[in-house]
Amino acid sequence: MDAPRPAHDPEFLVNKTRVRLLGLSFDDAMKIFFGGNAFVSVLVLTLITYFLFQEGFGFFGQNHRSLLTYRQAGLEYVDFIRTQESGHTALTRYISDLRLRQFNELTTVRKLDLEAANAQLAAFDEFSGQFSDGVDLLRGLLSDLTEQATAIKTKFLVAEDKKVERQQLVDAGKSVEAAAVKIDQIDFPAELKALTGALPLYRTASAEFADKLMASLEKAPTLPNPELATRLVRLRELTADYIATFPATLRSLETWDYTRPVPWYQSATSFITGRQWLTASFWQDWYGIVPLFMGSLMVSLLALLIAVPFGVGAAIYINQMASAREQRLVKPCIEFISAFPSVVLGFFGIAVLGQALRLLSQQEWLAWVPGFPFSERLNILTAGCLLALIAVPTIFTLAEDALQNVPKAFKEASFALGATRLQTIIRIVVPASLSGIISAVLLGLGRVIGETMVVLLCAGNRIAIPDFTAGLAVITQPVHTMTGIIAQEMGEVVQGSIHYRALFVVGLVLFFLSLAINFLAQKIVRKYRISVG
Amino acid sequence: MSAPDRHVFQAQASNARRWELAAVWVFRCATYSVLLCGALVFGKIVFQGSQTVFTTKAPFINTAFFTESPETLHVFEFEGKKMELGDRDFRALKAANPAAKNLKSETFVYSAGGIFPAIAGTVLLVIGSMTIALTLGVSAAIYLSEYATQGRLVTAIRISILNLAGVPSIVFGLFGVGLFVIFFDWNVSLLAGWFTLALMVLPVVITASEESLKSVPQGFREGSLALGATKWQAIRTNVLPYAMPGILTSSILGITRVAGETAPIMFTAAYAMRDKLPWQDLTHYSDFVFQGVMALPYHIYVVSSKIPQNEYTERVQYGTAFVFLMIVAMIATISILLRNHLRNRYRW
Repeated sequence: MDAPRPAHDPEFLVNKTRVRLLGLSFDDAMKIFFGGNAFVSVLVLTLITYFLFQEGFGFFGQNHRSLLTYRQAGLEYVDFIRTQESGHTALTRYISDLRLRQFNELTTVRKLDLEAANAQLAAFDEFSGQFSDGVDLLRGLLSDLTEQATAIKTKFLVAEDKKVERQQLVDAGKSVEAAAVKIDQIDFPAELKALTGALPLYRTASAEFADKLMASLEKAPTLPNPELATRLVRLRELTADYIATFPATLRSLETWDYTRPVPWYQSATSFITGRQWLTASFWQDWYGIVPLFMGSLMVSLLALLIAVPFGVGAAIYINQMASAREQRLVKPCIEFISAFPSVVLGFFGIAVLGQALRLLSQQEWLAWVPGFPFSERLNILTAGCLLALIAVPTIFTLAEDALQNVPKAFKEASFALGATRLQTIIRIVVPASLSGIISAVLLGLGRVIGETMVVLLCAGNRIAIPDFTAGLAVITQPVHTMTGIIAQEMGEVVQGSIHYRALFVVGLVLFFLSLAINFLAQKIVRKYRISVG
Repeated sequence: MSAPDRHVFQAQASNARRWELAAVWVFRCATYSVLLCGALVFGKIVFQGSQTVFTTKAPFINTAFFTESPETLHVFEFEGKKMELGDRDFRALKAANPAAKNLKSETFVYSAGGIFPAIAGTVLLVIGSMTIALTLGVSAAIYLSEYATQGRLVTAIRISILNLAGVPSIVFGLFGVGLFVIFFDWNVSLLAGWFTLALMVLPVVITASEESLKSVPQGFREGSLALGATKWQAIRTNVLPYAMPGILTSSILGITRVAGETAPIMFTAAYAMRDKLPWQDLTHYSDFVFQGVMALPYHIYVVSSKIPQNEYTERVQYGTAFVFLMIVAMIATISILLRNHLRNRYRW
């Protein structure tokens, strides 16, 4: 009861009262600090979306204005005639191709020397000359109209600039100077009279052009062999089709009206479905994503086509067939490949692979391969091969994980039923991990479609929709890609210009594309995951 | 009628067995052809690049290549000899020799001198961005693995980490332009590059760190908590020390990605050519982070796409690629070896 109190209080390790700041103990503060850092990833994703939209969204307004100017200044009107003229250019290209084929026939099959062959072709040359001269009148008219339309557009743009200048002066409080800025009012109807007034001239020119074409075709010489003769028949058909489009052009010209409004959605549709990406042109800039998108798609699909068999095959081999030693040896090596910087691979493509593939394509015994031989060193094939090397480690690692996650019991049950190893792998293990493998392939696609340096250096950078009429040979054509165009042009554009904003919209498309691919991959894994137990 | 020396359990040749063998060989070929391709690329660049980097005379390393700035190469004929000189030497020769006054030369930009500023810039970029990425990433991983409970916020964080991992690097570049270069008005600078790269590798660092934290047994934390430690004390003394090696090795993989990327720094941090080194002529300390630098990956892009391919330019092209590949390969090898080593060290 009366135990004496100890001489001193017992010592505890923790005897401090906790310091509190704003009602938070040190521990709470740490928790909030860590939580805040974790929240950064949400913040970054939001900020990416926000800034891509912020910088990119103005594109649609600016593009709408640009399209409006295109119509009001009569550029659209002139382009009707330009389309007609370029149709003729395509036909003359067909004719010169025909001449080349004849020439080859004469020199290689009939063994004529160059001069004799050219002499033989004199009649054909006269025909082709007449055929191509027919357009002269129309072309002259076109270049006159082009000049006039450009003048109207320039006048309009100058007036717009002046307006901006005046507004800036007003904003700066310099009303006197602002009033001194002279703005020319553009009287579109009067200016456009010069264009629309040329309609009768166009009618005669067009009619004469059609007559000349028909007349020159009638005088076409006979060709040496049946194959070429059918080509000439085809030319006649093409020309007839071409001439049949003239009335439609005339109708467009007659009904054209500069006051017709440009619908607001057209700035978006002209971007999404636009088949031209044409910038810094004296005439009219076009921002259509289709060629870039097709380029990205072609390169990525080719890369996947190569990478999937190798990546999945290697994963199956390493996970199911290889010995433990081989596993330990090969896995780090493939991981090591994934550490190759893409710019080094791109350089390899320029310096070695492009040339090697071209030389390979020019071998006689490979001539049966579609598209071989090709002359462009940098094309879809070169970029696709290198991208495949980038995609393989990604696909391999993820597919191997998926295979690893298949429960051992599945395999054992299969063996117990007497299945061989190959049967077990093909019928049991791979189907069980298929969702994982598919998501691995999808993530590989995401990796490849977002890859920049390889396609920038090796895809050839020609902005054109690949020509699918060439069949499989399409893979030997150069293309440009969405990632490539951003990397190439971002450094040169004026901040805030329509071109700058267009690049951000391309980035936005890429961003959402990658999110969609990611989402799909996760969904597949979640939906088809096998439940064990 | 089997041969007399045949064992009862010896496998019999059968069609199924033959098929299996064939299949194994097909898959084996697929695996090794991937390795072969990797080896080809690696070998070609090492073979060609080592001709630039190494010399036959002592000290066997082309020190000028590592210590000088890029220069324009002049190729010309002088006194009957074909000569190649860097820009400075060429001018010196012209000044010293009256006969050389009107010498005409073929010029190749960036093809003489070395790549020291690019190496220095890359090192600065990597150090800065990894510091930021590690701070953010490890803290985030600690939160996710130690503190977080199931909830909407945590789900949102996990989803955004997953999605960030798939965002193309060029989009990070655009984001860096929009936020750091323009909105914060940092211009093309180290700081903008650091943050852009750091945010890009953030998912990698978070995922790797969380995995290492998760692999520390629960008993470690519980033991510490039972002794009266606070949560943070438990983490600091009983979790982090055991997870740290794993965090660091996995983060090295992030470093290879940071060092290897070109697209994000193209418009945020990299200059094609800069005469001054990052630490020269600074009027104020803060100028250091507000300057653009040269970087190895961007230099490779510039020398491989902006100048023609020939015997003179080839040297700097392969040399730069070789040095860069070596740096990245070294980091990657270290991380893979360390990881294999650590895997065996801690077993709970």
